[in-house]
Amino acid sequence: MNLPTPPSLPPAARTAAALALGLGLAASAAFAQAPAGQTMRIQINSDIRSTDPGGNRDDNTDNVLIHVVEGLVALREDTSVGPMLASKVDTSADGLTYTFTLRDGVKFQNGAVLTADDVVWSWQRYLKPTSGWRCLPEFDGKGMTKVLAVEAPTPKTVVFKIERPSALFLTMMARPDCGGAAILHRSSLGADGQWKEPVGTGPYKIKEWKRGQYIELTRFDGYTSRPEARDGLTGGKKAEIENLRFVVIPDSAAAKAALYSGGIDAFISPSPADVVEMRGRSDVRVDTTPVMTMVALLLQTTDPLLKDVRIRRALALSLDTPEIAKSVTEGLSAVNNSVVPSSSPFYSPVQAGGYKRDIAGAKKLLAEAGYRGQPIKLVANKRYEALYSAAVLVQAMASEAGINIELEVLDWATQLDRYTKGQYQSMAFIYSARIDPSLNYEMVSGDKATQPRKVWDNAAAQTRLTESMVSRDKARRQVLFDELHKQMLQDVPMVVLFNASDATAMRKSVTGFKGWAPAKPRFWNVRLDARG
Amino acid sequence: MLAYLLRRIAMTVPTLLLVSIAVFTLMRLIPGDPVQLMLGEGADPAQLELARQQMGLDQPLVTQYVVWLRHALTGDLGVSTTNGLAVLPLIWERFHVSAVIVLTAVALASLIAVPAGLVAAWRKDRPTDLAIIGAATLMLSVPSFWLGLLLLMFFGQYLHWLPVVGYVPMSEDFSQGLMYVILPIVTLVLVETGVLTRMSRASTIEVLRLEYVTHARAKGVPESQVLRRHVLPNAFNPTLTMIGLILGHLLSGIAVLETVFTLPGLGRLMIDSIFARDYPVLQGCLLFTACIYVVINLIVDMCYPLFDPRVSVQ
Repeated sequence: MNLPTPPSLPPAARTAAALALGLGLAASAAFAQAPAGQTMRIQINSDIRSTDPGGNRDDNTDNVLIHVVEGLVALREDTSVGPMLASKVDTSADGLTYTFTLRDGVKFQNGAVLTADDVVWSWQRYLKPTSGWRCLPEFDGKGMTKVLAVEAPTPKTVVFKIERPSALFLTMMARPDCGGAAILHRSSLGADGQWKEPVGTGPYKIKEWKRGQYIELTRFDGYTSRPEARDGLTGGKKAEIENLRFVVIPDSAAAKAALYSGGIDAFISPSPADVVEMRGRSDVRVDTTPVMTMVALLLQTTDPLLKDVRIRRALALSLDTPEIAKSVTEGLSAVNNSVVPSSSPFYSPVQAGGYKRDIAGAKKLLAEAGYRGQPIKLVANKRYEALYSAAVLVQAMASEAGINIELEVLDWATQLDRYTKGQYQSMAFIYSARIDPSLNYEMVSGDKATQPRKVWDNAAAQTRLTESMVSRDKARRQVLFDELHKQMLQDVPMVVLFNASDATAMRKSVTGFKGWAPAKPRFWNVRLDARG
Repeated sequence: MLAYLLRRIAMTVPTLLLVSIAVFTLMRLIPGDPVQLMLGEGADPAQLELARQQMGLDQPLVTQYVVWLRHALTGDLGVSTTNGLAVLPLIWERFHVSAVIVLTAVALASLIAVPAGLVAAWRKDRPTDLAIIGAATLMLSVPSFWLGLLLLMFFGQYLHWLPVVGYVPMSEDFSQGLMYVILPIVTLVLVETGVLTRMSRASTIEVLRLEYVTHARAKGVPESQVLRRHVLPNAFNPTLTMIGLILGHLLSGIAVLETVFTLPGLGRLMIDSIFARDYPVLQGCLLFTACIYVVINLIVDMCYPLFDPRVSVQ
């Protein structure tokens, strides 16, 4: 039977084609009308968690809020601490009283003038046990010290009295993850006492937060800048661009396409491989800076196998750590076997000393320890690609010395849980930037019986660490950090591999951007020329 | 009809209850502490404990479930541990984004795939059939995220016709909103057209073999009428079932596409809540998803009699 010829195009297909054509035309027209203006679009890989500085936060939250709020002091470019809302800070001889003199003419984003009462109110809020402030334990006596009183003897003077002297009191105040202990206006809270939004003193204020999409900041026209040049999170700040829009783009391939097409102006933390590719483009520039983030191989010293220091040392000797740093970061970072970041002012020639690869020495140690190829689980994850890459290299290098490493790839939440409980043999781990070497050592050193997450449990080291937190003598602190480093190289509770390099990729139309060690990208004093 | 509807709705209650228990239990079996994630790797143990108390995570599991269920029955699915937002409005807002894309894409895919499958079956083993089935297989084989990225690069990065990232609700600005959803819709249409075309072709081939089709042709009924009146209605029900399944699956989240196209949809919300161990949001999303499946299956079941008179709702 001959079948008749089918119609040339079915009605449904004609409808679909017409619709597709219509969609295409509408899209072209609409995109052509997309507004440009003075809005800089900056990629962030996930939405911010809240607008409460130092409260419910993560890195993206901090990165946005540093443009909105300011504290009495802030980090300088070299990670030392300098005055921000204060014009000067006086410390008593016994180190128990800090007197902050406030700058003149500083205004909140609602137009109110900053007074000492606002500082007292902000700090009383932080110090409430239920405040949820991340850094409360450092100021309520559980950690570094205890704030006994915050007083305002004059409208321009604030006096802090603390229980015991601390070398880190101002550093803690300035920490970005503490929200810089931002001074806020009372209207940041609603009538019910609940958080509303920050009314701070920064060069930008919040314009609109579209959850899951973007948060847009707009210039605060009443901002009173410090007279100096830009200096970390303090110094002069000028909001050159009217609006900053932080756009949530979780997928790095999509972010890269958006940067290339001009859909965004800045892409924060592209992967090292992407950085290499971007450097070959004429329309994009990449700023790379060594930062304080630390990538390390943790070794569980309470593990039946790894409690033998000879096996831990053999593992360290089996690794070519300069090569790991170079391969993982595409040459953007150099090796650093010290907990003290290479960008720290305390990074001395002693800190630069580390492990040298010695396969024969590693084999000898393993033989002495009676190691017979028992498997060692190495936990890693793929959320932080550097950790996975480092773990693969560690496995390959260790196998040359006869060490049998088995990779266990987990999601970040699970790995963090294992880290907190100390439930691992070895683990590739990443530590966010800490500003002071005492804080770097504090995050890894301590009593494992009470805090299983601590990596290094050495009483002598703990004594030195405690002294480094109290001493205000820089030379003495340097000696203590050097001793701590040498001791850690002996104990091998961890092998620090490198400090990351942070990259920010921008369209060529963006000028004036400069990265810095704490990996907090700043967009004041940045200009956006005719969009390229 | 009404009795059938009520019976079906009643049957969903134990299903949803079981889903809620399974979701609640499984979530807590996954290692990972939402409070630890929230406060970071250096958090103080006392602060962690305080946050757990504030979030009710220090209570026994059964107590947590009962409290959650009691609230869920009143429409309160709790608040996100990540950002403190109420879960139900959050899910509804995100679902709206996914639904616009999925419903449009599936409608377009159906409009293309059903006739294409019909034609392919009608011209079985001829060049037209081979061309259609070849194209369908190709579309079926291409991963949606890869296709999405290709379209993104071509139309966004090179031609600059469409934006690469962002989203504007069409309710705010129709033309602006439209351009943000074109690429995800086109991606989904291409992928789902492949599946539906194959299904439509297979069921049409079955029907074309039946005696009443031969009988109609023998009577001299024009071929177009044979296809439209005798073949299509009888061949459509299996495809309708497939459309229902696809709709349920896609409406519960097109996470990969939403991630590639940076759309704030339900799928991305679910993925984010898994990584953040945001229990209330994830529980809410999964319960909502289960409801979507139930509703879509119900609608599909109610539609069968419209296309096939032999099927009746009882």
